Amino acid sequence: MFKIEQLSFSYHQQQNAEMLFDLDAKPGEILSIIGPSGCGKSTLLNLIAGFLPAQSGHISIDNEFIENLSPAQRPLTMVFQQHNLFPHLDLYTNVALGINPSLKLSEEQKNEVSDALKKLGLSGLEKRKPGQLSGGQRQRVALARALVRHHKVLLLDEPFAALGPALRQELIELLKSLVQQKSMIALLVSHQPDDALQASGRTAFIHQGRVCAIDETAKLLNNTDNKDIRSYLGSL
Amino acid sequence: MNRQSTSAYWVLALLSLAVLIPMASLLAVGRLPGFESSDLQFWHSSYIRRVLFFSFWQAFLSTIISLGLALLVARSIAFRGNFLLRNLLLKLFGLPIVVPSIVAVMGVVSVYGAEGWIPLGRSLYGLNGILIAHVFFNLPLAVRLLLPVWQSLPDHYWQLADQLRFTPWQRWVHIEWPAIRESLPGVALLVFMLCLTSFAVVLTLGGGPKSSTLEVAIYQSLRFDFDPTQAVILALLQLSLCLVVAFLGLSLQKLPEVEINISATSYARHTKNLLLHNTVILLAAIFVALPLLAMIIDAIRGPVIEVLGNSKLWLASAYTLMIGLSAAFCSVLAGWLLLRSSSELANRGKVNRAKWIELAGSVVYVLPPLVLGTGYFVLLAPHVDVFDWVFPIVILINSMMGLPFVIKVLSPAMRKNQMRYQNLCCSLALRGWHKFRWVDWPLLRRPMGLAAALVAAMAMGDLGVIALFGSVDTTTLPLMLYQQLGAYRIPQAAVSAVFLLLMCLIVFWLLERGLGGKYHVQD
Repeated sequence: MFKIEQLSFSYHQQQNAEMLFDLDAKPGEILSIIGPSGCGKSTLLNLIAGFLPAQSGHISIDNEFIENLSPAQRPLTMVFQQHNLFPHLDLYTNVALGINPSLKLSEEQKNEVSDALKKLGLSGLEKRKPGQLSGGQRQRVALARALVRHHKVLLLDEPFAALGPALRQELIELLKSLVQQKSMIALLVSHQPDDALQASGRTAFIHQGRVCAIDETAKLLNNTDNKDIRSYLGSL
Repeated sequence: MNRQSTSAYWVLALLSLAVLIPMASLLAVGRLPGFESSDLQFWHSSYIRRVLFFSFWQAFLSTIISLGLALLVARSIAFRGNFLLRNLLLKLFGLPIVVPSIVAVMGVVSVYGAEGWIPLGRSLYGLNGILIAHVFFNLPLAVRLLLPVWQSLPDHYWQLADQLRFTPWQRWVHIEWPAIRESLPGVALLVFMLCLTSFAVVLTLGGGPKSSTLEVAIYQSLRFDFDPTQAVILALLQLSLCLVVAFLGLSLQKLPEVEINISATSYARHTKNLLLHNTVILLAAIFVALPLLAMIIDAIRGPVIEVLGNSKLWLASAYTLMIGLSAAFCSVLAGWLLLRSSSELANRGKVNRAKWIELAGSVVYVLPPLVLGTGYFVLLAPHVDVFDWVFPIVILINSMMGLPFVIKVLSPAMRKNQMRYQNLCCSLALRGWHKFRWVDWPLLRRPMGLAAALVAAMAMGDLGVIALFGSVDTTTLPLMLYQQLGAYRIPQAAVSAVFLLLMCLIVFWLLERGLGGKYHVQD
C-alpha cells in the first residue's frame, strides 16, 4: 500500500503551504494524476521522489515512512518525460546503471538486464546509443531500467507526452501488464484524459495544489458537478 | 551547505588570497625603500601623463577600428549564408586567440614594416603598428562574437522584410541594429580591456616614452629603471583604470558569451550586393592570413638548422610546455569545481548565488597580469630571490587569467547537464567517482578539452609576467624571441617564432582532440 498523508510544500519558504496532498494507491494499480498545468502534478511526483523537500506530512510504502530518506535511498523509480537516458552510453549500460552505478554486475544481473530489454521488445539493440532510437523506444528503455531496480513504486512524469496516439496506447498497455505482473504501484501524471481512461481504474484530479477529486476514472471524467474538472476538460 | 558548494568556496578563498595579497602589497607602497610622498603626485610627472593618455588613446582607436570593421565583415559573412570555405574562414578567425602576440607582431612587421611586402610609411613603430596589431587580434574576435547576433535573428524577419520591401538601409535600421545594439557594448568593453592591458604588442611596437602604455611602463620601471615605487604607482593607476572601465562597461551591458562553435546558417539570405560582400570577406581573410603567411615564409628562409640545433631553444620549449600544461590543468580544475557548485545552485533556483560565484571566478578579467605580477614582485622581492620563483608565479597568474575563459566555455555544458541529469543521477544513486566516470566526463570532455587547449595556448604564448620574472636561465620561448629581437637577430627570431607558433597549435590540437575525444554525442 502506498500512502501520502498531509504532504505539504511551498515554493516560498516563509509562506504557508501552497500545496497539500493526500493520496493512496494499492499494488497492481496505476493511479492517474491529471489537472491543469501549474496545478502541482509534477511537484507532487518530485516531492515523492525527494527532489523537492516537503515541509511536513508523510509518505509511506507498506507502512514504512520514506519522507526522511534521500532520493537515492527511496525505494522508487521515476521515469521522466525526456532525458531518461545518458546519450553517450549504450542501451545495455543505461539499464545496467539502474542495478549498480559502478557497473560491476554479476552474471545473474547481466542476464536480468538482457531479460528486461527483451521484455520491452528491445533485444538486439543492446549496443545502440539512445540517439539512434525512436522516442517510443527510448521510453521503453527507461521502463526496462525501472524493472531491473525491483522497486515497488513507479513514478511516471508524463512519460508518453511526446509520442503519437498509437504509440501511447501501445506503451500504456505494456505498462499495465508490467505493473500487474510485478504488482507494482504506479503514479502516472498525464496531460491526456484519454490516457487516464485507458491506463487507470482510478484517477486523481489535482487543482491548485490539492487533490480535489479522486474516483473511478470514467466517473471522475464525467463528473459534471465539479466546475474545476469541467473547466479543465472544456466539455459541456 | 553541501559538499559541492564547499569546494567552490575553497576555490574562491584561494583565488581571493592569490589576488588580495599582491594587491595589498601594492597598496603598501609607502613602505617601499626610497619612497617619498611626492612620488604619489603622479600627475606632476609629464611622463606618466603622456603614458596615461597614450594608453587610453590607442585602446580607444583600436576598439573603434576593430569594431567598425568587424561589423562590416560579420554582416557580409551573415548575408552570404552558407558558402564554400565558410568553416575554414571561421577557423582562420579563431587563430589569433591561439597565436602568441609576439609572433603576430613579427608577422605584422614583415608585412607592413618598412622593409615588408606592403610598406606602410617609413616606420611601423609607434601608433600605426600598435593599431594594426590590435586590429589583427580583435577584428576576428569581434567578428566571431557578433556573427551569432545575425544568426539569432529568425528567418521570418527577412521574409517579412522582403514582403514589406525594405531597402538594405531599412533592414539595418529596423532589424539588425536593434539586435546588434544589445551586444555591442559588451564586445566593445572586451576589446577595449584587451587593448588597454595589451603588453607584448606595445612592448615590441611601441617606441620609447612617446608611445608607451601603462602596462609597458610598469615593466620598464621594474626591469630597467629598478624603480619599484614608480612601478607600483603605475600599477595602481592601471588597476584603477581597469576597474573604472569595467564598471562602466558592466553597467552598460553584460559580457557577451564567447561563442566557440558557430553553426552554418541553413538558409541563404537574399542579397544583391554579392560582389561587395565577397570583397569584404576576402580582404578580411587576407588581412588575417597575411602576417601568418609572411612569418612562415621568413622562417623557411631563415637559419632553421642553426636555431633548431641550439639547446637553449629546447630548454625554453620545455619550460614553455610545462607552464602551458600546468596552467591549463589548474585553470580547468578550478573552473570545474566552481561551476559544479554554481550549476547546482542554479538548478535549485538560487540563480543569483550561482551568478555571483561565476562572476567572482571571472573577476581576474579586470586585473591586468602585469599589475598582479608587480604585486608579487614587491611582495616577494624583500624576502626571496624572485627569479627563483618565476615558474610558480607565472603558472599561478596564467591559470587565473585562463579562468574566465574556462568558465565561459564550461558553464553552458555544465548547466545543461545539471538540469537534464541531476534528478536522474540522484534517483540512480550515481555520485562521486561513478558519476564522474559515467556521466560528467563523457559529457564534459569536449568543452573541457577546448578550455584546456585555450588556456594552454594562451599561457604558452604569454609574454607578460615572464618578462617581469624571467632571466637568462629561465626563459620561455616568447621571452627568448623577445631577446632575439632585441639583439637584432631577426632571421633567428623568425624561425623561433614559427617554432613557437607550431608548438602552440599542436598543443592546442592535441588537448582539444585528445581530451575532447572524437565522437560526437547525439542528443
